[in-house]
Amino acid sequence: MDAVTAVHAPARRLRTLRGGLWLFFISESFLFAALISSRYYLVGLDRPAELNQALGLLITVILLTSSLFAFRAEASMLCGHRQRFLRNTLATVLLGTLFLVGVGIEWAEAFAHFPPQQRFGTVFFTLTGAHGLHVLSGVGLLLGVYLHGRRGRYSPQACWPVEAAVKYWHYVDVVWVFIYPTLYLVGS
Amino acid sequence: MMDERALAVRFRLGWRVLLALVALTALELPVAFRIPHPLPYLVAINVVDALLILEYFMHLSRMWHPEE
Repeated sequence: MDAVTAVHAPARRLRTLRGGLWLFFISESFLFAALISSRYYLVGLDRPAELNQALGLLITVILLTSSLFAFRAEASMLCGHRQRFLRNTLATVLLGTLFLVGVGIEWAEAFAHFPPQQRFGTVFFTLTGAHGLHVLSGVGLLLGVYLHGRRGRYSPQACWPVEAAVKYWHYVDVVWVFIYPTLYLVGS
Repeated sequence: MMDERALAVRFRLGWRVLLALVALTALELPVAFRIPHPLPYLVAINVVDALLILEYFMHLSRMWHPEE
């Protein structure tokens, strides 16, 4: 490897990793687009009155806030503030867990009012379930990043796993931005 | 490497983006419950929400600049 190639290799590698991650996001978007469109195909514009609007809004705000802490974690790592990075990552994990608890409460209520055998129930449990699994995997990724970060494995110059986990978390947030109105707000 | 001042600027930006996202989410409620056919308006609000996250939190426009 000549000197010029050696200098540019890390930048090229990072560009490739980012490209791969965005391709993954695009492919995931097709899945969620299909699931969201199934709501309109199966249920039309009907919405059950029993939906817990307050809880839906609350978990949305929790997830949006978790994205802020993920953003702060990444920025802290880029600045070399390990403690701040750890604190913000942990806050993101806790808020993500809180979101999952909220979805769990919503599921308990939903089973009573619109079980999975009903059309809206099918859509509701599929959409929140698929998204919830993504949140769960995001929490796992961030926990892994947190534990590695505690051992000092990242630096401002080498923190691709942090960037990838945080971007994945934001992506999960973007998906919920579309799922929330699809389930809770559209229809009458 | 980012310096302290740049970090403080980023943190402030993060709070502003969050406030905008929460405000847009709050705006969805009257739009959904008071406007007769709210779907196009809700989609428009969601697209703005998504673009805010993609640009400010996910740095979409800087994707091909690994030096940043």
